[in-house]
Amino acid sequence: MAGSQNQEENPVAINVVPMVDVIFCLCVFFMCSFKFKQIEGKFDSWLPRDKGLGDPNSLPNTLEELRVALFWDEKTSTVNRVLGSRRVKDDEELQKYIREGKADWERAGKPDTPVTIDGHKHVPWHEIVTVMNLCKRENIDTIEFAFGGGQ
Amino acid sequence: MSERFKPPDTEESVACNLIPMIDIMFLLLLFFMLGADMSAKELEDVELPKADMVKEDEDTTVEGGPKRTNVNVFHVHNAKGYTCEVKEGGGVCRDMTHWAIAIRANHFTIETLGPELAELASLDPEESTGGPKGGKPLSRREIMIRGDRNAPYGYIQGVIEQCAAAGLYKIAVSAARPEGS
Repeated sequence: MAGSQNQEENPVAINVVPMVDVIFCLCVFFMCSFKFKQIEGKFDSWLPRDKGLGDPNSLPNTLEELRVALFWDEKTSTVNRVLGSRRVKDDEELQKYIREGKADWERAGKPDTPVTIDGHKHVPWHEIVTVMNLCKRENIDTIEFAFGGGQ
Repeated sequence: MSERFKPPDTEESVACNLIPMIDIMFLLLLFFMLGADMSAKELEDVELPKADMVKEDEDTTVEGGPKRTNVNVFHVHNAKGYTCEVKEGGGVCRDMTHWAIAIRANHFTIETLGPELAELASLDPEESTGGPKGGKPLSRREIMIRGDRNAPYGYIQGVIEQCAAAGLYKIAVSAARPEGS
């Protein structure tokens, strides 16, 4: 057992058994309470802007901004995304449209393309973050939120 | 009996050397103690949305600099042991009463969040008084929104609106890096 040292060889031996016990307990406590931190990052964003559109058929087709509208389908619990007046199937297509929109803006002499995200209140948050992520992939920094989208 | 054939001494001690074990235990203890988060629960257990383009989160809480407040939006089912059939089934819970907002482990609703944010905003006012047109005073405090990946956007939108009303305009959105990126 721990600490059973020859008293004749070392007359001032310390009994380390209680210390080992305490360290074991502390180790178990910290091991149980330990949690690996998730690596987090952030997106800077802008404050809400104007009113939401609400209706997918009423979306304007102007070059005032790149507006990504996200509609919530209650029946299928899925999200339908529309950029301008074009329905988007997947992330790749949305990124392609964003890239094209940005190129249009740059041709018009406006390098800072603003993207407004207009989501329905039931749209899952990760869908909004996905759109922000796609914008960042295309080096778009001006991302704004629409107020009261699809209420 | 001859001394040559003396049986082995059964009294001989067989003490094991504990020093290396104690050394390792101390190192383990040190690692877990330093890694343990004993601070106030600033960050709730939130399943963040994944995004590969998030920029590294720098510590903005430097001495004399603008402070940051984390606003957590999460499902109370995880925190309070409620049962939510939708959440249990892996669906998207849209019952607004199942979602909560927390700042430093204090829970708020959209309605009660406003006064708290206003108080936080008043702690870090902008140098110039009022906005560009002499409007309400702005705050240089940054708000980090840590929303659950399945939180309803309308709920988080409410948080952003309350931030705007309180003069907090530095809004950041938290996301997790996908594994391997």
